[in-house]
Amino acid sequence: MNTLTTIDELAFAPGLQEEALEDTTSDHALLEATRSGDQDAFAELVSRYRNQITSYIYRMTNDYDGAVDLAQETFVRVYRARDRYQRSYAFSTYIYRIATNLAISELRKRKRRKLVSLTGFFQPTDGGEAKELNPPDGRPLQDSELVDAERRNAVQRAIGTLPEKYRAPLILRDVDGRSYDEIAAILETSEGTVKSRISRARGFLREKMRAYL
Amino acid sequence: MKDKRCEPVRRELEELTLNGEFSATTVEHLRGCGECRQFQRQQTRLRQIVGSLGTVSAPADFDFRLRARLAADSQRSGFRSFAVKGLATAAVVVVFGVGVAVIWQRNAQQGPVAEAPPIQQSKPHEEKVITPPAPEVTPTVAVNHEPKRKIERPFVAKPKRTLTALDFSSERANVIGNTRTALNNEAVFPIDASLQSLKVSLDDGRGNARTISFPTVSFGSQRVLTTANQFAPKGVW
Repeated sequence: MNTLTTIDELAFAPGLQEEALEDTTSDHALLEATRSGDQDAFAELVSRYRNQITSYIYRMTNDYDGAVDLAQETFVRVYRARDRYQRSYAFSTYIYRIATNLAISELRKRKRRKLVSLTGFFQPTDGGEAKELNPPDGRPLQDSELVDAERRNAVQRAIGTLPEKYRAPLILRDVDGRSYDEIAAILETSEGTVKSRISRARGFLREKMRAYL
Repeated sequence: MKDKRCEPVRRELEELTLNGEFSATTVEHLRGCGECRQFQRQQTRLRQIVGSLGTVSAPADFDFRLRARLAADSQRSGFRSFAVKGLATAAVVVVFGVGVAVIWQRNAQQGPVAEAPPIQQSKPHEEKVITPPAPEVTPTVAVNHEPKRKIERPFVAKPKRTLTALDFSSERANVIGNTRTALNNEAVFPIDASLQSLKVSLDDGRGNARTISFPTVSFGSQRVLTTANQFAPKGVW
């Protein structure tokens, strides 16, 4: 069975539509089974979404251990609310919405605690522009893999400096490859707002990643 | 320099997928606009880098830890619901007990209990009793501090009540000192009388006695002030 990796495949690969629908339906069916007490059905749901959710929250918070914890909390909340779940929207939208809210709450908590990351960008106390702790190496490239890794680290850190309302739509679009309407459903906002925020986020990143572009 | 035609082109570049095809208008514009070409290159490169972040895997023990967490959560919610039920039951029991106690207390107050010696009749000096408007005393004016009863009774002409106290507030009170004996052997209340409330017993002529309780009236007595402020030196205002 082909596994869909992006929602765009639904629109551009009609041959996969039926399979996609079946896959979507089976998410609902699994949750229905969970409601009836089938623990294996819930385990199957977890195995389908644990990497996506963990990765998404990690991209949002830039903290792997925290992301694992929040991903588990996401599934706990899905399990707790299994009787209240409505089939009016896709399960992926539902679970991503929970994950987004948890990630944003965590970011706000950190802001209140004023945690400083020692491995990435930091905010100077004088309110100036964020400085990069690890500036790009100007020496000749030695290993393309190392270069790619450095570039990915840099963009991950750059995403971590974005305001939270721009971070989520950018990750959902450019990392997870979701469609604008799905992102709008997850974030409970309009498509126009989603497009505007993604555009602003990319503008921020272009400035910060100038050396790598 | 950016002109008005750049805006829709850049919007299309933003919204299109990475491998999507540009419209003919956009292709035409990109041929002639260097800034938009640079924008398109940077945009594509950025999206490729961001897209290369990929998916981070959950740890191997993710499922195990999640099961443990769900088990702990279900135990907590079970205890929580048990605690809520227990509290609700306890609240019901407490309310019921309070209701029973209140009803018992009210029934006890209606009994013929006279906790203080009854005041002698028709004598002055007692200014603590409410004056009845007419010679006949009605129960609702003097003693009705209890809630109204719903017991239906046939109308009976009520006999006159025997008064045990009258108000003579318009008359001047006799001043009685501590060393002087009471006039005419009447009951007096010394200035350092007990701080307990005054209780007056009324007999309605049908064998029912009711007790009225009056709060303590302070005459500015030294004892009252001293009692109220335990830290004040004795004998000093």
